[in-house]
Amino acid sequence: MNSSSTASGRHASPANVDLRQSADPRYVLADRVEQLYSQMPIAIGATIVAGAFATWELQGRWLTELVFIWGAIVIAYSGAATALLIAYRRRSDVIGNAEQWLRSLGIAALANGVSWGLAGAVFFRSLTEEQQVFLSFLFAGITSIGIPVYAASWPIFAIYAAGILLPFTYTLATFGSRLFLDIAVLVPALYLVYVGIAYRLHQVFISGYRLRHAYGKLTDDYTALNQRLEQQLVELEEARRQVEASGRKLALFAERSPIAVFEFDVEGRIQTANPSAETLFGFAAGELIGQTGTDKLFATAIRDEVRERWRELFRSRAPVIGLRAISTRRDDAEITCEWSLTPLVSPENRVISVIVQGRDVTQQLEAERMKQEFTSTLSHELRTPLTSIIGSLQLINSGVLGDIDKDVLELTTIAERNGQRLLDLINDILDVEKIESGKLTLFPEALALGELIAESLALNRGFADRFKVRLVTAGEVPAVTINADRKRMLQVMTNLLSNAAKFSPEGGTVEVAVAITDDSVRVGVSDSGPGIPESFRERIFGRFAQADMSHTRQKGGTGLGLSICKRMLEMMGGKIGFSDRTGGGTTFWFELPKHS
Amino acid sequence: MPAQPLNRICYVEDDEDIQRIVRISLEKVGKMTVEVVSDPLVAIERIIAFKPELVMLDWMMPGMDGPTLFRKMRETPEVRDLPVVFITAKASQRELDELRSLGAAGMISKPFSPKDLPEQLRAIWHALP
Repeated sequence: MNSSSTASGRHASPANVDLRQSADPRYVLADRVEQLYSQMPIAIGATIVAGAFATWELQGRWLTELVFIWGAIVIAYSGAATALLIAYRRRSDVIGNAEQWLRSLGIAALANGVSWGLAGAVFFRSLTEEQQVFLSFLFAGITSIGIPVYAASWPIFAIYAAGILLPFTYTLATFGSRLFLDIAVLVPALYLVYVGIAYRLHQVFISGYRLRHAYGKLTDDYTALNQRLEQQLVELEEARRQVEASGRKLALFAERSPIAVFEFDVEGRIQTANPSAETLFGFAAGELIGQTGTDKLFATAIRDEVRERWRELFRSRAPVIGLRAISTRRDDAEITCEWSLTPLVSPENRVISVIVQGRDVTQQLEAERMKQEFTSTLSHELRTPLTSIIGSLQLINSGVLGDIDKDVLELTTIAERNGQRLLDLINDILDVEKIESGKLTLFPEALALGELIAESLALNRGFADRFKVRLVTAGEVPAVTINADRKRMLQVMTNLLSNAAKFSPEGGTVEVAVAITDDSVRVGVSDSGPGIPESFRERIFGRFAQADMSHTRQKGGTGLGLSICKRMLEMMGGKIGFSDRTGGGTTFWFELPKHS
Repeated sequence: MPAQPLNRICYVEDDEDIQRIVRISLEKVGKMTVEVVSDPLVAIERIIAFKPELVMLDWMMPGMDGPTLFRKMRETPEVRDLPVVFITAKASQRELDELRSLGAAGMISKPFSPKDLPEQLRAIWHALP
């Protein structure tokens, strides 16, 4: 303790040194110049008074004219000095020209000193002894006054005093009097003492001004600092309030969230768990916090994968989304959750913690599985018996087994037709299900439109015959290829052709026409039916859309066909629509891009 | 294209109703000779014994499904080169592509039309290399 206090006491306090050094020298100089000029009225006053006295005392001799000339010089000097003072007071730049003003003052001081010195040199020899004492006294006084007046700059005092004393000393030394010679030796010594005193005063002034400015600067700095601090405090308080508000909001989100939300630290330990997490896993938050998340939340089999994804997250800093994993609840029940892991990354790219969100998808997966199972059952278990039913009836109705009674044939034909209807419905429902679940896969290829149309006409001719309707093409089908799924295009054509046949009058004609534009192909299927009722137009491409339910019973159809066609054409980059046909009937059309 | 017309067919199918329909269709409409096998586990020896020109397999059967039986046939020298046609109510495109790459000759989807079945089979037969 002692040694350290001694050490610090031995050196000047660094703060003090810095303080004085920190004063701006320009300000210090300006202050000194100001001090010098503020003393000028005293110097001018003293010069006039002393000059007047000297002129009065010295006149009446052979040198009277010369004395008056000297008096005029003193007055001229005083006027010039006053003019300089006024100019200084009116200056615009307080700081900048300080050195210039100092030089001007130095010249004025030299002129002042020399004017007195001249008086000594010119008049002294011819004066009476009394007058010589008077003049010597005057010189001593005038020189002494210079010390306080020019103390802020010792060189100015030095040239001022030299101006007075140098000619006077010379005169004394060459006067021829022993006494005056002694005085001539003493005067320079006195001069040096005076200059020494002026130098000391000069140092005191500089030091004082430096302190004053350093302190002033310190005060300014302190005030500015205070203001800045105050401003920062206000901003900090505002920021704190915002952080607190968003923190509360976030906490509320997590607390009320229907999904489980955890925060893991970088070691994978659970830091927080929201109420949904407690409900989902059956653990109280207290039982979860501090535990390793992977071990506590995930089933053994999946842990390695979770750990790998965890490491990947730290490597890439990218969130892990859609991670499906089996978890074991507190009651040992297994649930499947879909997880997302989002790292909280600092601006320095450091992972601070990881937000882990889990959504229970067990029931959703079960529902998906059941739906799939149902679809599969529908597909296989319904189609297999229908295969037997329709197949048997077809064989009977085809006549390969021999002739059948007319009434029996009529009934078996009805049975076959309705079996087919049932099959169509099943197929349509399966298609709708595939479209809805996004599982309908298309296999587009380059298809010759002419062949597609010919094949679809051939496929549907049997059906049209039942309604005594002819299927024809309007003129030659142009040679053009489209990019489409063949099987699905046949399905679309079958839908449009069978609809057109069903709604055409007996003996009517269904006409297929093709129009080609720059980049697409338009196929129209026109019937000569009754047209589409106004009320039905809006929902014609909707599901289970039937204009008139009595038609369904009469002519068949599931009401799903057009909605399936629409979706499939859209998936192939096409569209479907209809328009009234001039002269009665309706044209259903679809457009598909040309194969390039 | 094979030189002789399609005549002898072996059909492996567990559903007796469909067996009968297919038999009638192929015999009466197609005028072919048909051997039907109900149990896929004994199918290969029956096929070897019958010496068909083409084999039809049902996709879903108890004991052994059609694709498995098909793969087994590929491993059995006596029946390895027989053309195989699947009859199925459901099959994913991936499975179909896989079977095609293994050498299945064709696929007929259920429900099929017994009136047209012989024609369909003959078309596949004619398309064979």
